[in-house]
Amino acid sequence: MADNVEIVEGCRLPVLRKNQEHEDEWPLAEILSVKEVSSRKLYYVHYIDFNKRLDEWVTGDRLDMKKLQFPKKEAKTPTKNGLPGSRPSSPEREVRKSLDLNVQSATAPSRGKTLPTPKRKVEAVSLATQVPPATPVPSLPSSTEASQASVFPAVRDPNTFKSREDHEPISSLTTNGTARRLIPSQPGRKRKANCGGTDEDSQDSSDGIPSAPRMTGSLVSDRSHDDIVTRMKNIECIELGRHRLKPWYFSPYPQELTALPILYLCEFCLKYLKSLKCLQRHLTKCNLRHPPGNEIYRKGTISFFEIDGRKNKTYSQNLCLLAKCFLDHKTLYYDTDPFLFYVMTEYDSKGFHIVGYFSKEKESTEDYNVACILTLPPYQRRGYGKLLIEFSYELSKVEGKTGTPEKPLSDLGLLSYRSYWSQTILEILMDLKPDNGERPQITINEISEITSVKKEDVISTLQYLNLINYYKMWLFSYKKYGQYILTLSEDIVDGHERAMQKRHLRIDPKCLHFTPKDWSKRGKW
Amino acid sequence: MSKLSFRARALDASKPLPVYRSRDLPDLADCGSINRAVPQMPTGMEKDEELEHHLQRAISAKQVFREKKENMVIPVPEAESNATYYDRLYRGDVKVPKQPIHIQPWGLDLDQPDYDMDSEDETLLIRLNRKMEIRPLQFETMVDRLEKATTHQLVSLSEAKLLLNEDDFLLQSVYDYWVRKRRSYGAPPFRCGAPPLRCGAPPLTPRVKQERRDGSTNGDAYVAFRRRTEKMQTRKNRKNDEASYEKMLRLRREFSRTVSILEMIKRREKSKRELLHLTLEEVERRYQMEDFSGETLREVSLPLVEKPAYSIPVTLNNRHRTDIKTVFQKKPVSVTDQLPFNLMRPKQTARRDRAGPPQRRPCRPAGPFTVNKADIQQYDFHSSGEEDSPPPPLSPSSSSEEEEEEENHPDGVYVFRRKAGCQYLSPGTKQAGGVDPALLQLPPCVRHSLAELILPPHWTGLSRRRIGRGGRILLDRASSVLDPVLKQLDQKPPLTSGATAASLTEVLSNIQTLRRFCFRPRPVQGPREGGTRTTESSLEDNRVTCCLSPRNNSGGITEEQYHIHQRQLIQMQKQQLEKLQNPVLYRHPAPCGTQSTKSSESSSKTLDSASAQFAASAVISAAPPPPPPPPPRGHVTTENKPYKANGVLHPSGPSRPPYSSSSSLSRLGLSARGSSSSSSSSSSSPQSLPNQRNQLGSVSLTHQHTARPSVPPTSALKLAAAAAAAATASLDRAPKVSTARDSHESERPLNGLSETTLPMEVT
Repeated sequence: MADNVEIVEGCRLPVLRKNQEHEDEWPLAEILSVKEVSSRKLYYVHYIDFNKRLDEWVTGDRLDMKKLQFPKKEAKTPTKNGLPGSRPSSPEREVRKSLDLNVQSATAPSRGKTLPTPKRKVEAVSLATQVPPATPVPSLPSSTEASQASVFPAVRDPNTFKSREDHEPISSLTTNGTARRLIPSQPGRKRKANCGGTDEDSQDSSDGIPSAPRMTGSLVSDRSHDDIVTRMKNIECIELGRHRLKPWYFSPYPQELTALPILYLCEFCLKYLKSLKCLQRHLTKCNLRHPPGNEIYRKGTISFFEIDGRKNKTYSQNLCLLAKCFLDHKTLYYDTDPFLFYVMTEYDSKGFHIVGYFSKEKESTEDYNVACILTLPPYQRRGYGKLLIEFSYELSKVEGKTGTPEKPLSDLGLLSYRSYWSQTILEILMDLKPDNGERPQITINEISEITSVKKEDVISTLQYLNLINYYKMWLFSYKKYGQYILTLSEDIVDGHERAMQKRHLRIDPKCLHFTPKDWSKRGKW
Repeated sequence: MSKLSFRARALDASKPLPVYRSRDLPDLADCGSINRAVPQMPTGMEKDEELEHHLQRAISAKQVFREKKENMVIPVPEAESNATYYDRLYRGDVKVPKQPIHIQPWGLDLDQPDYDMDSEDETLLIRLNRKMEIRPLQFETMVDRLEKATTHQLVSLSEAKLLLNEDDFLLQSVYDYWVRKRRSYGAPPFRCGAPPLRCGAPPLTPRVKQERRDGSTNGDAYVAFRRRTEKMQTRKNRKNDEASYEKMLRLRREFSRTVSILEMIKRREKSKRELLHLTLEEVERRYQMEDFSGETLREVSLPLVEKPAYSIPVTLNNRHRTDIKTVFQKKPVSVTDQLPFNLMRPKQTARRDRAGPPQRRPCRPAGPFTVNKADIQQYDFHSSGEEDSPPPPLSPSSSSEEEEEEENHPDGVYVFRRKAGCQYLSPGTKQAGGVDPALLQLPPCVRHSLAELILPPHWTGLSRRRIGRGGRILLDRASSVLDPVLKQLDQKPPLTSGATAASLTEVLSNIQTLRRFCFRPRPVQGPREGGTRTTESSLEDNRVTCCLSPRNNSGGITEEQYHIHQRQLIQMQKQQLEKLQNPVLYRHPAPCGTQSTKSSESSSKTLDSASAQFAASAVISAAPPPPPPPPPRGHVTTENKPYKANGVLHPSGPSRPPYSSSSSLSRLGLSARGSSSSSSSSSSSPQSLPNQRNQLGSVSLTHQHTARPSVPPTSALKLAAAAAAAATASLDRAPKVSTARDSHESERPLNGLSETTLPMEVT
């Protein structure tokens, strides 16, 4: 049966994947794209409720066709049926999109909302209304607002295939705006649902007339540009020095390079080259052996280079392109002028190899001391990320400010920062000595000042570690008395001590040669 | 229990938190931790991503194990690190410099070609190298240049030749290869089947897609690093700050103004109260004195009242002027006699009381006096002016200069204002006729001297030469008590404008007379200004100019003008001759016995300027005959300049004999004439001194007292400004002027001694 069904974009079905224990799993996935390579169909799947970085091209035999769910009429996943192999940004696609827009009601949620949530998944399963494959009806783009299901319970008929005609009334029903307005917003999507206005914008963005994103910061949080193109990885492999990296996300490298099996990068200037030969030739001309900036920190083999996004555009752009491969929310919409880039390198006899970097706004309106931060995959889970974070706070200490990373954080970012914050705060709390017999005390502000960690982050960490408690007692047996206290439990202390033993890489403030510039006094960054 | 009712206070970040080990607080669990008062902090992640399985798993693992577990980490796509050829690729070892690396950011862009040769190029290179030697770098440079020169269209071969300075064969081969490669570059089958959207042939050097100006690329995911069109707003409030700062400044200014206004109001009210008290006191005193008719009061207060009036002349702008005053005090004693009767008696008595020092200003209280408060208030002038007679003739206050300045208050804020409590001394006294050393030091331009204009309108009187704007020479006339006498000296020219026109020259001279800007000094008090007029303002308009200046060349010289000029010249020559025969015509106004020799000297000086005037006109008239248009004009002006300069800068000092100066001037005029190679060289015959004088007369305007009412401007000499039309216009104007003059004439008896100046403009 599965053979005669054409799987189109937007379909959902369980897809086989190996988990970390190398066991087979069949998580539900969404087909984002279909292509044919040497008469074999490949499907780009996004595992719902897994990070996009795990999205991949799979062969048909990994799909569980029995549980196929066709996209709802207004399935927002853009359908590109009948156009095998068409690239996301092909002209036809653009036309289609604009057509879609016309059909779409103004209140149609943006594509950006298509991100799956658990709840939706459940409903989507039951929802599975089908569009006959290859019907050019894609013009009902639409949101996967799952709660539609409850509005039209009758439609639920997962595995039946009806003719398109049968469904037409439904589609018209479902696509009409009033029906949608009835949809209660789901908890998980609350934020987006709240900004109904931005939905329009995000729609526009997929239509090619987007409103430009904000100009501050370096991360996109509203996903207004999360169209099908950017949802898919476009580079298969990047060779950088000794390493071959599998990109996690889309990156706007020149489009002609996206077709290459391997994109070669010069390890030091990060120039992208289409072939090894070109790289070879380039290396005869490129004499960089370190990032083209000033070395503001060196201890052991670890160095930090500061690069001005305005003065060294080429390198900054190349770095951003590379970083985008691993940062989902990073935007490259605007130039790099207002940023400084701090590139961490590890030295060996070949030069200063890039390990990771973070960028930082020269002037931040929101106390951000980090815009984007990345440890390159080969160096991950070895303490470099924490080192980068630590360095960013060292800079803030020199500046005499508290700082916080720009939001949104990625999953790995959250874990890394939490870990850093926990260790930093615990370090301080454990070092507190009783003050002439009194119990040691500290205020949140003090912690913030010592660490340069923004107050909110301190509080959230204390909460997360469950250190902060409201301790109450009876005074004189009739009056209740309560106060906040910090309690260090045994397992916290032990865990911290163990973690600190493993944390070898530390930033040595003495090795930092950094004078903050007052960018506000300069005309330009 | 009451646990739940127990509300925790909000967490205060500045409040010290005691740190406990959990072993110190065995009862912690009992007490329970109430975290709800502390709002849960957002994680800072996207909500939907936060719910991803792996993250949740990792977070919970961390919570449980307090440590990372290998299998609980978030999986990521793998990375390999086994590029075997790495060492071959990146050759050479790098030593760590001792010092931190410092880089010059601008020096990074070396002149290396951006293009990197690929294997396809390599085969070409190998092929080419059979015939010639070409290095990869050379090839890359060539391609790079071609690439960079290509925008929308490929570089043509001819362009390429210009671009690449290479051997023809090499160029041809590389160019052909490049074109082929470039054309086919878009075509190769892509992995995904359909070639990506591209506009035109993609560059061989891959570059990140650039934004397009039209905004069509705004949604293109492949376009990156767009320019920030608006200046990033880095400080949210900066603009506000600036605005509010300015507002604060303004507020402050306004407040301080309010304060000062209130301060002044306070003072005013105090004064009012004081005045009231004083009045009360005064009335009481009067009552006590039984001065019901107010006579005593008048007696007491009169001297006070006149002060403001007399003090007006003191409103001089500078000390200089004061000197002038002294100069002009050589007035006949008879002046007092001529004072109009409307002078108040008290004043006269007062004057007599103070009669000690010789008085130049009859109406003015001589000697020191204190300016009282009332004096300070300029507005009081009105009242005092009403009461008082106009200032006496020749008093410096009415000197032309002052009058001029009072007209527009050119000094603006620097205008002299009397100060309360200051003593202003009357000018120093000089014996009439005595040679005043101060006078000698005076620049001649500020002195009035007796002078005579021989040319119509004939006029004899006090005048003064000065330089007006634009270098024009003005003759300021001052009317004086001598006027009646001087008037008699003025001979009425034979205004034979009648039908029997004796000669052409006469007619011409009549015409000239009609056209000159020349105005008599106007009496001080004109009824048109009403009683409210201040003394100063009464002096307005007394100055009129006689403008001989070729003011602008805009119109060029019309033929008519030219002819007029010619005739004028002839006439002048004639007059010269006349004067030669009758040298007595110019003389010191003998009847004015008070006129000092000095004044005659200075008058001669004035005449100098007049002669200068003449020379100028001579130059003008010497313009080449037949084609009268502009050239002569320009010539004239240029010729004129040095002349003027001479007249102005070289005014013969008082000690200098008038003749010498005039002769020098005439010489100048001569030279000017000579340079212009005028046809009318007859006038330029070497001249004797009397001749000079005649010349002078012929040029200068003789103001006729009789003819005074109707003194129309003379456009004939006013070459520059006057086109033919203008000439007629000026003629038209004549009657108007005359009527005005008539009215003035009628006022005159009322005014009594009018004192005004009459500037004449000479260029």
